[in-house]
Amino acid sequence: MQLLDIRNLTIELRTSDTVIRAVDRVNLSLKEGEVHALVGESGSGKSLIAKAIVGVLNKRWHITADRMHWRGVDLMRLSNEQRRKIVGSDIAMIYQDPSRCLDPTAKIFEQIAETLPEITGSGFFLKRNRERKDRVKALIHKVGIKDHQKVLSSYPHELSEGVCQKVMIAMAIARTPKLLIADEPTTALESTTRAQVFRLLKSLNQLKNMSILMISHELEEIINWSHCMHVLYCGQMVEAGPTQRIFTQPRHPYTQALLKSLPDYEQGLAHKEPFYALKGTIPTLQHLPIGCRLGPRCPQAQKACVVTPPLTKQHGHSYACHFPLIKVMK
Amino acid sequence: MVLNYILRRLGLLLFMMFTLSVFTFSLSYLFPGDPLSNLSGISNTSFSQTSELQEKYHFNDNYLMQYFAFITRIVQGDWGVSFASGDSVFTHIIELFPATLELSIYALIISVVVGVPAGIFAAAYHRRWPDKLVNSTTLVGYSMPLFWLALLLIMVFSLQLGWFPMSGRMGLLYEIPYQTGFILIDIVLADFPYSGLAMLDALHHLTLPTIVLAMYPTTVLVRFTRDSMLHVLEQSYIKTARAKGLNRAQLIMHHALRNALLPVIKQIGLQFSTLITLAMITEVIFSWPGIGRWLIDSIYQRDYPAIQGGLLAVSMFVILATIIAELTYTLFDPLSRNQAHGKV
Ligand SMILES: Nc1ncnc2c1ncn2[C@@H]1O[C@H](COP(=O)(O)OP(=O)(O)OP(=O)(O)O)[C@@H](O)[C@H]1O
Ligand code: SF4
Ligand SMILES: [Mg+2]
Repeated sequence: MQLLDIRNLTIELRTSDTVIRAVDRVNLSLKEGEVHALVGESGSGKSLIAKAIVGVLNKRWHITADRMHWRGVDLMRLSNEQRRKIVGSDIAMIYQDPSRCLDPTAKIFEQIAETLPEITGSGFFLKRNRERKDRVKALIHKVGIKDHQKVLSSYPHELSEGVCQKVMIAMAIARTPKLLIADEPTTALESTTRAQVFRLLKSLNQLKNMSILMISHELEEIINWSHCMHVLYCGQMVEAGPTQRIFTQPRHPYTQALLKSLPDYEQGLAHKEPFYALKGTIPTLQHLPIGCRLGPRCPQAQKACVVTPPLTKQHGHSYACHFPLIKVMK
Repeated sequence: MVLNYILRRLGLLLFMMFTLSVFTFSLSYLFPGDPLSNLSGISNTSFSQTSELQEKYHFNDNYLMQYFAFITRIVQGDWGVSFASGDSVFTHIIELFPATLELSIYALIISVVVGVPAGIFAAAYHRRWPDKLVNSTTLVGYSMPLFWLALLLIMVFSLQLGWFPMSGRMGLLYEIPYQTGFILIDIVLADFPYSGLAMLDALHHLTLPTIVLAMYPTTVLVRFTRDSMLHVLEQSYIKTARAKGLNRAQLIMHHALRNALLPVIKQIGLQFSTLITLAMITEVIFSWPGIGRWLIDSIYQRDYPAIQGGLLAVSMFVILATIIAELTYTLFDPLSRNQAHGKV
């Protein structure tokens, strides 16, 4: 069953004189138990999409979508309150800026404790309290914090960004959501914990059948365990499909560039050999090129590229390019 | 950590008190007339009286000794006598200050009770009609001069409708023995058979001055609370807490209010000094027997010992109130409490 089904999600910032379209007609659908990866350069709108799904974007952003179905229910049509209930119980997100997403005047313990689902069953107030404490402690151990006493009684500003990120992860998995959106969950973590977090997410996916929408720059990690991959460039979905297929046969020049930029240690890199990278940088949202947004940087670009390429779909693999790559990558 | 902070605040308090006392002390020499009579309040003395006073005020020693003698007398409560009444200045202050304090405290309570919820309400209905109503009302209140509002209220409610008395603190019918100086408490303590009526009368007298005095701090608090609340509601942690599944009440109780009201506490403390100044004007308009009216009368009468004592008392009080407000704020705010934390 489709867990999440999004059609033509558009996110705009309307200022008095212009409309800045940060995310342009993005499609995304995700089945139960699947792990999807959302990749793209910095500033391509990954976080915006994630936040739009959870509904935490500021009022200034204008979100439209043909549909945004969560298990058959259109989130866009729900009232704020109904939406909050569904999102609160089923979807959790690990935010990219952990310290800004924690309440500066509440202790970590309170913040984690209030995410826990209501403890059901009888029992005295004291007993329930004790159980809450144990659960919070267990959660925080799971994400690799050893010194629970100190961390739980701290305020967010007293902790490092990495610890805050671990706390965010603990809060996200507290309710065992059906969908976990992880926005670069490991950027501030040390490598041992990073591995631990990935293992934790993997096991949650396999044991609890939790779906994951993973936003990450760590392509190697993603390629290993995600089912599908969505490549984003400049707010547009340029290619999407099963990870293995995209990996072995990327159709879009941008995806190819992304994959080529992975250092391939097995083949051995020559000393000081330059990494492959596209020329130029991602354009700013105020100065987007017409037609294909990759145009100015694309090695394959031709005259036809001044027209926006339509989305081509083949066996669940879709891409938006006038001149898709046919050759198998070496 | 907290103790250390409190100690440092107390250090600051002592320093400010010192500066204040030096200033007050030097006033006697700067005021026109004889410093000795300015200090003591006794003028037209005979020769023997003069030498007695010179002895007492260490007038033949250097300024430092005189200053120490001054401090000793301040601490002992011997603040000289008033030119006008011939009574001890300190007794005057002790008698009059509670009246001012009472008025200010009630006004502050009203402004907090009305202002903070109104601000929260306006923020909750941001950009809708309740917000606009609150906003325009506060703008009117904010820009209306205090004496004008007072005269307006007197004209309507005292002269036209006759609902409230125009001046004074108590009807002439009642004789309330002085105990704490706070009229409402004194009435309760006095325990008359007619104390209910007396209480009603006192409240009647209190109403107009309190409303007038509360107007300015209320408008300031409404605007401040509203802005603070709006600012907090826009923060990511509020949005993410909402996405965690907290309902509106939980969100406001556990996250929004605490963050939004912290700066408001500080603001309340700062309002106190403005309030005391405004109270003086209010007292003059409503003939309220408080320290402000007395101080202004003393200024008219060139009653230097009284001016000196009054200034000292009022400023000491304002400093104390500001520091207490800051301490409370610090106790509530984890960010400013923990000085080991450096802002990045
Ligand atoms: N508050 C904002 N105001 C204006 N523009 C914004 C704001 N937040 C994001 N943007 C713009 O929206 C675009 C998408 O931002 P987003 O945060 O989604 O990028 P991202 O893909 O998550 O990048 P990163 O990998 O660095 O996290 C960026 O071009 C950014 O400039
Ligand atoms: S449409 Fe043209 S410019 Fe865009 S990616 Fe394809 S080849 Fe390059
Ligand atoms: Mg991001």
